[in-house]
Amino acid sequence: MMNMFRWWWGILLAFFLLAVLRVFLPLPFSNEIILFSIYVMGCSFLLGRLGMLSFGQPAYLATGAYATAFYLFYFGTNPYIGILIGILAGLLISLIVGPLFVRLRSDYFALVNLALAVIIFYMMQTVLAGITNGDNGLWFLTNMAPTPVLDLSIQDQFYIFAFVVALAIWALYKYLDDSLFGACCLASKINEDKVNFLGYSNFRIRLTAFVIANTTTALAGSMYAVYLGFVSPEMTSAARAADPIVVTILGGVGTLYGPIVGAIAYTGMKDVISGLIGNWELFIGFLLVFIMLAGEKGIWGTLEPLLKRALFRKNAFKPER
Amino acid sequence: MDTQLLISGVLFGLSMGSIFFLMAIGLSLCFGLMRIISLDQLLYYSIGAYITYSISLVTGSMWLGVMAGMVVVGIISFGVERFIFLRIYDRDLAFSMIASFGILIGGVGVIKSIWGLVPRPVPVPMITQINILGTEIPVYRLIVIAIALLVYLGIWLFLNRTIIGKAIRAGIEDMEHVEGLGINVYRLFTITFVIAGTLSGLAGGLHGPLVMVDPQMGLEMMPFIFMVVIIGGLGSIKGTLISAFLVGQVVSLGSLIYAPLAQMAPFAIMLLILLVKPTGLYGSKLLKR
Repeated sequence: MMNMFRWWWGILLAFFLLAVLRVFLPLPFSNEIILFSIYVMGCSFLLGRLGMLSFGQPAYLATGAYATAFYLFYFGTNPYIGILIGILAGLLISLIVGPLFVRLRSDYFALVNLALAVIIFYMMQTVLAGITNGDNGLWFLTNMAPTPVLDLSIQDQFYIFAFVVALAIWALYKYLDDSLFGACCLASKINEDKVNFLGYSNFRIRLTAFVIANTTTALAGSMYAVYLGFVSPEMTSAARAADPIVVTILGGVGTLYGPIVGAIAYTGMKDVISGLIGNWELFIGFLLVFIMLAGEKGIWGTLEPLLKRALFRKNAFKPER
Repeated sequence: MDTQLLISGVLFGLSMGSIFFLMAIGLSLCFGLMRIISLDQLLYYSIGAYITYSISLVTGSMWLGVMAGMVVVGIISFGVERFIFLRIYDRDLAFSMIASFGILIGGVGVIKSIWGLVPRPVPVPMITQINILGTEIPVYRLIVIAIALLVYLGIWLFLNRTIIGKAIRAGIEDMEHVEGLGINVYRLFTITFVIAGTLSGLAGGLHGPLVMVDPQMGLEMMPFIFMVVIIGGLGSIKGTLISAFLVGQVVSLGSLIYAPLAQMAPFAIMLLILLVKPTGLYGSKLLKR
């Protein structure tokens, strides 16, 4: 029981704080944070645990979003099934492109993913315009039928759903980090040859990680689709390609809570700064350079050791309950 | 397809390819010598275009604008190299990619705050057209192609005939031996980076009259430049030239056949080439330093 608690308490604390944040922040902002942090989680895992930098996360985001959108626009009304279809689409595309991509060198991997994002962008914008309505996008907010337990078309209840999903994903990634597979991933990042020598297949480790990470991204995409009630090719344009990487770096590469902290900081800065000076890229760009020069630890990466020291000391005095 | 359309399509492709080449050469040189992926070349491209716009608005001469743009961009890239890249050369490759992306979007923010968000037209310096095989061709596009070929020749001469160029080539092959010979490699890095930035500025200045200048122009070019560099192989100059013209032709002729093809075909080709040859056409086998 105590072990269970020790394993869970970090996640539960983080999500408790997030829930507290919900009281102070307006609802769209909280939703944005949760969705963004799910979106970034895959990228953070790939970059932090495997050292694979992907500039093409929007490709997988859009795959999930469009799969959900097609279902909700043309076939059904149940948003839960839509999200499930989005996940399946993400799984499918990462299983198709994964074996081709993970063989590549890290620099080519980044660029090839970007190329995939651009291909999907043009496919959705022009080639498949008959189905996707091109730049106008698909609007299906009114197509979604109310569902019994949590009605996803109501923002309040969507937030609860997103919150639970995020919690589950965090538990999954924490489990992965602690498992043998997580250790293999780190080993494959640090020294490929030794991993081979120990009898593990680099290819298989990377492929598994790639599939898991990008299915998560697709899930985020389909949740975005359900939340906003529309999709457009804009979400996969090359100009947006760096968002997840910026947030990953901002939060701290490879840390478990980095994506949440990064998403809060990024969305918050976007909100506050765009209200003040009207162009927040300037600020984000220079912040990114500053973080890189300061040692690429990010916000959470810097805070974590300090917090840990403070918290554990406090915890030691608490009687065990 | 009739010949007139074909000829103008090919020439359009060649001029596009020239712009691609001028920009991609910077990325390629930086990767070859310093093992960094310098996305901020796209920023220098936008700055070059904007300086060209401003100067040509004031003085009325676009060529003066291009010159001024190259000078300004050269100074900026020198500063960026000294203050930022010097500190991150010995880190991981992905590291430079992210840092330079930060410079890129920060710079785009600066451009937005100076020149505003509205796209602006740059006057075309010469509107005369000449007749080739019964097709009217704008002279300006021919000049762009000529400049790109001159730059290729210049770089080839620089790398093969001067002592600094030879040192750079040696550095691409084996950095440690060059250091062992007592050559200050960081000076080589600075020279290469400034050359790369200046060429990107030149590309921006030349591309300005063909498209409108707007703050996002660098980001719009990004996928194409990546593609050129990947197809050619990072670090190879000949490969960059060939793949730039290849991509230019595919974009231009593809749009004649079926419009959406123009944007997608190059990426499909790139995926194919990478699957057959994971290092690009002329890329080196060398993985990491």
